[in-house]
Amino acid sequence: MRLQILPAVLERIHSQGEAAYPEEGAGLMLGEISQDQRQVMEILTLPNVREETARHNRYLLSPQDYLKGEAEADRLGLDVLGVFHSHPDHPNRPSEFDRQWAWPNFSYLITSVMVGKAHESRAWRLTEDRVNFIEEEIEIVENTIA
Amino acid sequence: MTTLKIPSPLRTYTDGQTTVEVKGKTVSEALESLVEQHPDLRQHLFNGAHELRPFVNLFLNSEDIRHLQNLATPIHEDDRLMIVPSIAGGGSLVDHSAIRTNQALIILLSVIAFILNLPWLVVLVAFGMAVGTALKFPGFGFVYRWFLKPLNLIKPDLLEDNPEPHRFAQGFGAVVLAIGAIALLTGASILGWGLVWLVILLAGLNLFVGFCVGCAMYYWLGRLEVPGFVRSPPENTIPGMRPKAKA
Repeated sequence: MRLQILPAVLERIHSQGEAAYPEEGAGLMLGEISQDQRQVMEILTLPNVREETARHNRYLLSPQDYLKGEAEADRLGLDVLGVFHSHPDHPNRPSEFDRQWAWPNFSYLITSVMVGKAHESRAWRLTEDRVNFIEEEIEIVENTIA
Repeated sequence: MTTLKIPSPLRTYTDGQTTVEVKGKTVSEALESLVEQHPDLRQHLFNGAHELRPFVNLFLNSEDIRHLQNLATPIHEDDRLMIVPSIAGGGSLVDHSAIRTNQALIILLSVIAFILNLPWLVVLVAFGMAVGTALKFPGFGFVYRWFLKPLNLIKPDLLEDNPEPHRFAQGFGAVVLAIGAIALLTGASILGWGLVWLVILLAGLNLFVGFCVGCAMYYWLGRLEVPGFVRSPPENTIPGMRPKAKA
């Protein structure tokens, strides 16, 4: 399993994580699925609607915002591929809480933002039995898939 | 037949269909009809107790069914039912340095109160813990956040842990200490100082041994399925013990 991403899109995800610091920033990834590959072509930054005291280690997107994401994907002829979020001052591994709330078939891209600077992103996908997250290789590609 | 809209992540289980026609007179029956047609959906929509998972929202003509009659909400032929994901997550990390600083200060101030016989100091400590519990942080954790951490005197100790049991433990301590303070102020010194020492011992057990009695109580209440006590202990950790796994 691979998650392809354009460098400019990854750059935007990183800037978004830095802008949200010290809170968690999040949004949806839109793109195309072809056979075994997925390519992120567009992102949609959405507000973290968790209460202010919890935003440093929690994010929540409202159902209304999620629907906006699906509508935007339809408009662009794309699919909602998954979710990106930042872990301020923490590694980019999914937490137990991430796993409990994860949706199947979604790619979860996590960016570690250390002292305000985005370091690295890793992507994960929930296994069918909901027990584990397995890592998805991120491939930075210059061109979009045909 | 009612039309049910399927969100992106679940379309794998509906052969790519974005909508499914379902039968039933209530939301519950409609969902039953859906999982009958597409059985792989069941585990992603319901937990083991056949309750809707917390991140699954259902909207009936753009109204959340939680604001209607929930799963018993009646539906009609031309209604549109929609499954909408709640997207949530984030690091479940607890800075144990803040918690330990809080415990050390609770112990220190309580012992000073005992030695100098200062019931008002017991009131102050109970108040600090109660405020911390209400605002969801360790009551005297500000000493760590404002001074010890910025001055690099104590390093953060971030562990994969649930904050809720610690909050419950602090709230429990605040209640015990508050009863102790009332006892002291009404002249029941032995009971009062006894309760103060109970809090000192429990905070000490947590600070020096790493066992949080209040957290263990939280997990026991969770096992008894008391509503609100929903967190499970971190993996490979005895309920109440400080987790070993570094984040």
